[in-house]
Parts: sequence; C-alpha cells; structure tokens
Amino acid sequence: MAAGVLTRVRQALRGPRLAAALFSCHGQTLSSAAAAVHSPAAATIETDATDKILNFPLTQPDYFHLSELFSMKDLFDARVHLGHKKGCRHALMEPYLFGCRLDMDIIDLEQTVDHLQRALNFTAHVAFRGGVVLFVSRRRQFAHLVETTARDCGEYAHTRYWKGGLLTNAPIQYNPGVRLPDLIVFLSTLNNVFREHVGIRDAAKMNIPTVGIVDSNCNPSLISYPVPGNDDTPAAMELYCRLFKMTIKRAKDKRRQMELLKGI
Amino acid sequence: MAGSRLEKFGTVFTRVRDLLRAGVLKPDEKPIWYDVYAAFPPKKEPLYQKPRRPRVPAADPVPQLFYKEDEIRAKFFEVYGNGPKAFELLMPNFISSCQKFVMKYSELESRGDIKPELLFEETAKALLSEGIYLRKRGGPVVAPESRDPLLSMKLTDMLAEQQKDKETNIPEKQPEAETLNPDSQTS
Repeated sequence: MAAGVLTRVRQALRGPRLAAALFSCHGQTLSSAAAAVHSPAAATIETDATDKILNFPLTQPDYFHLSELFSMKDLFDARVHLGHKKGCRHALMEPYLFGCRLDMDIIDLEQTVDHLQRALNFTAHVAFRGGVVLFVSRRRQFAHLVETTARDCGEYAHTRYWKGGLLTNAPIQYNPGVRLPDLIVFLSTLNNVFREHVGIRDAAKMNIPTVGIVDSNCNPSLISYPVPGNDDTPAAMELYCRLFKMTIKRAKDKRRQMELLKGI
Repeated sequence: MAGSRLEKFGTVFTRVRDLLRAGVLKPDEKPIWYDVYAAFPPKKEPLYQKPRRPRVPAADPVPQLFYKEDEIRAKFFEVYGNGPKAFELLMPNFISSCQKFVMKYSELESRGDIKPELLFEETAKALLSEGIYLRKRGGPVVAPESRDPLLSMKLTDMLAEQQKDKETNIPEKQPEAETLNPDSQTS
C-alpha cells in the first residue's frame, strides 16, 4: 500500500522550482527553514514583477484559452450527460438535470460546460501560482488512469483507502512541516460504499477548495466548483483526466515562460 | 498555521477572508487559491446544506423527456419486437431499424396522401421495398395442417358420451344383442 500511495509533497521538492524571492510572496510556506534574506531594493523590483505576473492573469476571463479544449459535442460523445436511474437521484442534483428519459436521469450539458469551464480555469490559475493539486478518486476501475494522469502533469493522486486524519491530522501522521494540497480534484465524489468521500468534508475543514465531478447520485453541496457529469463511463473519465492534465500542463508551461521572460 | 475547521458555517472562502480580516492569518500566510477564488468565484456558493428528509413533491421537478416519435416507436416495438437489426451502441451515428421506420413514417406523414390508419402498414411496405424485412412478433401465421379428427378426441369426452348413450340407448341395445346371439352360437 505504501508503494501505491503518493501523498504529501515536501517543501524541498517545490523549492528549487520557484525563484527564492517568490517564496515570500506565496502563502502556505509552513516550514522550519529560515526565509531567504535579500537586499530590500532588489526585493521590491522582483516583487513588482512577480505581482504583475500573478495579478495580470486574474483580470482576463480565459487567460489560458481553456474553452478551446472541449466543446459540448465532445461531452456528449463521451457520454457525460448520462446519469443514474431516477431512484438513485440526489435531491440537490435536481437543478443540474435536463430531464428524465424512461427513468434515466439526463444531465444538462449546457450547465456542465459552464461549470467545467470555471473548474478548469480555477485549476489552471492555482497551478500557475505553484499550487499543489491532489487528484482523488475511489473508483478502482479508474485508479490507474488517475494516478498516471497525476504523474504526467507533475501533481499528486490518492486513489487508495483514505485514512482518517490524512488532512486533519497531517502534522502527526506525516512530519510536522508537511504542506497540504492547495486544491483537491475529485474525479468521483463517492467512496466504495456509495457514500460521500470523507475528503470533501476534510478539505472544507482544512480550508482547501475542491473541484468535483458530481454524478446524479452525488451531493454537490460542500464542493467549491462542482461539475455535474457522468463519473462511471470510461470514455467520460478519460475525457476529464485528459482535460485536467492539459490545463495543468498549460498553466505550468505558461508560468515557466513568464519566469524566463522576467529573467530576460 | 491558524485555520477554521467549521465546514458547516460559511464557505472556505468566507472563513479564510474573515481570518485574514481579523489578523489571525498574516497577509503572507494568505493561501495561493485565495486571489483566484476572489477573481473567479463559483456559480453557486459551496455552503453546507443539511440533509433534509426526502419529501415527495407534488410535481416531479425533473421533467420527463418524451418526443412525438415515441408513439411510433412504441407501436413498432409492440408489433415487431426488437426489430431485425441489433443495436450497435459503439457507433455514435448508428441508425437502427426502428429509427429508419420512424424516419420513413414521418416522411410519409408529411407527404399527406395516405390516410393515418394505413400509415403504419404503408411504412412497413415502403421499408420492405427498400430491403428491410420486418417480421411480426409471435411467429409467421401458418394454416394448421388437417389433423385426423380422431386424434383431437379426448378420453374424458368419449367416456361421457358413452355414459350418455347407455342411458338413452338401453332399449335399443337389447334388440341388437338378440340379433348378434345366433351368430355367436353358430361358432
């Protein structure tokens, strides 16, 4: 089990990637390492530049051009609109449903497109700022897919049994200076017994925003950026994994590009 | 690092915002996602919603999806069963025999020269001319071969008939026996 679980990131892993000056601007630097000491003048110039890098993308509605990554037709072909049967329906999912065809819930793809766009945009901006993304899915069918997706975009995944204090008791279960993820992406919000995944409640407790694919039998209430869609079909899961991987890669490449430009 | 673990009150954003405002969280401890959330908030605030007992509403909030062609489809499946061609679900633009029937039916209906009662039969004939043979459910209607009427007689009926004959034919039987006797005596 230890071999299969990719969990916490050590700050040292992230350190060399970012310039030392950026550390002081970014939050979440829980560590015992002493902060770097620079001359004040150089620090202000650098902080201005980094402020521009960080703040300018927030003014654009679609800075990473994520709307070109998918269309409603792609969602339809991947069977994202297929929900569960009427008896399995969660009451809070009713606003997101288009209708019910012979007792089978159909998810409204117009809403899904909008929600997915917002979720991908949020993920991209968080990755752009060097945030840690954790992919969670308790579906055994897609565990390998989720893990390879996370590895390919340089982020983290947790597709095994979620131990109780993983987020809430992290300093004791891991080492005291552990850094928690800045965003958790749930590719399936249910656990193996069709109850809500504990990670949703824990992330809300630890003030970590969540992005989640909610099917018609899921509870979308505590998820910051829910995406109503099918989480059972392999085609749909492959589509989501591909989209998240592409957004995170785009965001990180853009960041590297900006850093190089700043260096020039 | 300070935090607020009350997931049932407010959203993640409101709690962090209030912690920053109160000074519990220093400005350099601001989370990475805070500015992003402020710039691009979600469509609906992710507040905790208490699990309410499921009440059966008078009207189902999710509409049932039915189309005008469903009537044609229902009649098709009733008469012809599943149809000759199996459904190929992996092809996105697959047209089943039922769908062809529906398309032909709508075409003939829009033409308007056929009476509505005969439309169903006319569509079947039109598809037959195109090469799609639709077989009615319940097997083909075949005239039963002429069976020996003796085979369809039941033993119970025969016995009942014999009983009835005994009661009515007793006076008739005796003269028959008398005529038979001289024959038996000769042997």
